[in-house]
Amino acid sequence: MNVLYKPSVWLPLLSLAVVLGGWELVGRSINPLLFAPPSEVIKQFSAMIESGELAAAAKITMQALFLGYFLAVVVGIPFGIIMGVFDRFGDIMQPYLYAIFSTPRVVVVPLIVVWFGIGFEARLFLVFFWAAIAISVNTAQGVRHARPDLVEVARSFQANRMQMARHVLIPGAIPFVLAGLRIGAERAIVGVIIGEMFLQIVGLGGVITQGSSDLLPAKMLCAVVVIASMGTIIVTALDMLERRFQSWKGAV
Amino acid sequence: MKTRSSREIRRDQIVGVLVFLTVWEITARFLDNKLVLPSVSQIMAAFWDLLISGELILALSESIWLLIVGLFISTVIGFILGALVARSRTAYWMLNPYFSALFATPTIALVPLVLVWFGFGFPGRVIVVVLAAVVPIMFSVASGLRDDPKDLVDVARSFGVKGELALLFRVRVRSALPVLLAGLRLAAGRGVVGMAVAETYLRLGGIGGLIKSYGSLFQTDYVFASILPLSLLGITIVSLIGRLERRFHWS
Repeated sequence: MNVLYKPSVWLPLLSLAVVLGGWELVGRSINPLLFAPPSEVIKQFSAMIESGELAAAAKITMQALFLGYFLAVVVGIPFGIIMGVFDRFGDIMQPYLYAIFSTPRVVVVPLIVVWFGIGFEARLFLVFFWAAIAISVNTAQGVRHARPDLVEVARSFQANRMQMARHVLIPGAIPFVLAGLRIGAERAIVGVIIGEMFLQIVGLGGVITQGSSDLLPAKMLCAVVVIASMGTIIVTALDMLERRFQSWKGAV
Repeated sequence: MKTRSSREIRRDQIVGVLVFLTVWEITARFLDNKLVLPSVSQIMAAFWDLLISGELILALSESIWLLIVGLFISTVIGFILGALVARSRTAYWMLNPYFSALFATPTIALVPLVLVWFGFGFPGRVIVVVLAAVVPIMFSVASGLRDDPKDLVDVARSFGVKGELALLFRVRVRSALPVLLAGLRLAAGRGVVGMAVAETYLRLGGIGGLIKSYGSLFQTDYVFASILPLSLLGITIVSLIGRLERRFHWS
């Protein structure tokens, strides 16, 4: 193992102290309101927890996020399987999905406004659609990339279709599906924040926009920290799951 | 599993696009609601209008310039920090946590902060692009330079290459090139998003500003006509770097 990876507790703590201390000093000496030193952020954070503002905002964000993501999983996996099994259909769909996936979502916001309005449905769509694309594209790839060596072994043991699916195709696709779930979750989190900042100003994204118009960076930073930790927890959990099943991909 | 030739796939895709556009056109004419779904011909007309009025070219050139400056700065910063993190354990444990945190934070959430702290002139927009793009570059430089090409370094030494810096650029960077390009490709994709976010947030210049202003006028045909070049820009840049990556795939 490389010596670089030898974990250290002191170095991150030291650098945290340097960064936060420096920020505190600089922020205080210039303009504590505008540069929101850590002490200011912590004060704001406890105030927002006490007033229940943060919990209420997080609840609104979670509702759209989890419902949209759940729908994306329910729709995305079967659609991906269809694209993988009927490979001609998959090939035809591929360019559209790729084009939509690589278009920055902020520029699609005007279209979403005319199609879904600015409320919950619009946010739900922002979460659902892009997560569903990520999940279905990866699932399709997994279905197509059944390991030829295992397929051959199964054939020579005269496995029937059900056995083939049960023992070869589905286990082979699982690592890909999990990768899709992770990428979809990343997309979903950004989607809900875009919806809350650009459409109806609610939830954690709304707190950021509100803080921006009230010129309260401390408030914005609180919301940013909550969003970032929420995203990190969700993505890390899915990442661990993905790693757990990585070996099922076999040696490529 | 049988595989289909790329020619067959291409043919199917072309037929698919034609069918798709025809269905769109017919549906749009049937709905007859330009606000919700403009027809393909209306979008083409809007596109032509944007093209000959010079609006599109101007917006695109602004956006591309922002992207170039942003990616250049991201590359410089990402390279320096990545090289530090790759060669020093202290730097790794002091810097890496912040970059992981930055990577996990949606760029869009940081835009209002950048607005308050740096204003929304060109520098502010460049900062947004850098925030979006710097992390993949830094990570790829760090992982590319960490694998020590010991045999190559030994050969270079015996041919008289002296000094860590010379070794870094003449041996290590070159042997890590495929990894670095992969990082640049990821960064370009994120950079395009950062660019769009920065321009859209204040309805200010560039292709993002164009889309935002037509969006607030509810001219859906013009919105479609300006989203299209933006998507193409992103796809083109990413696939160009991808091609470069395959060309230099020597490790």
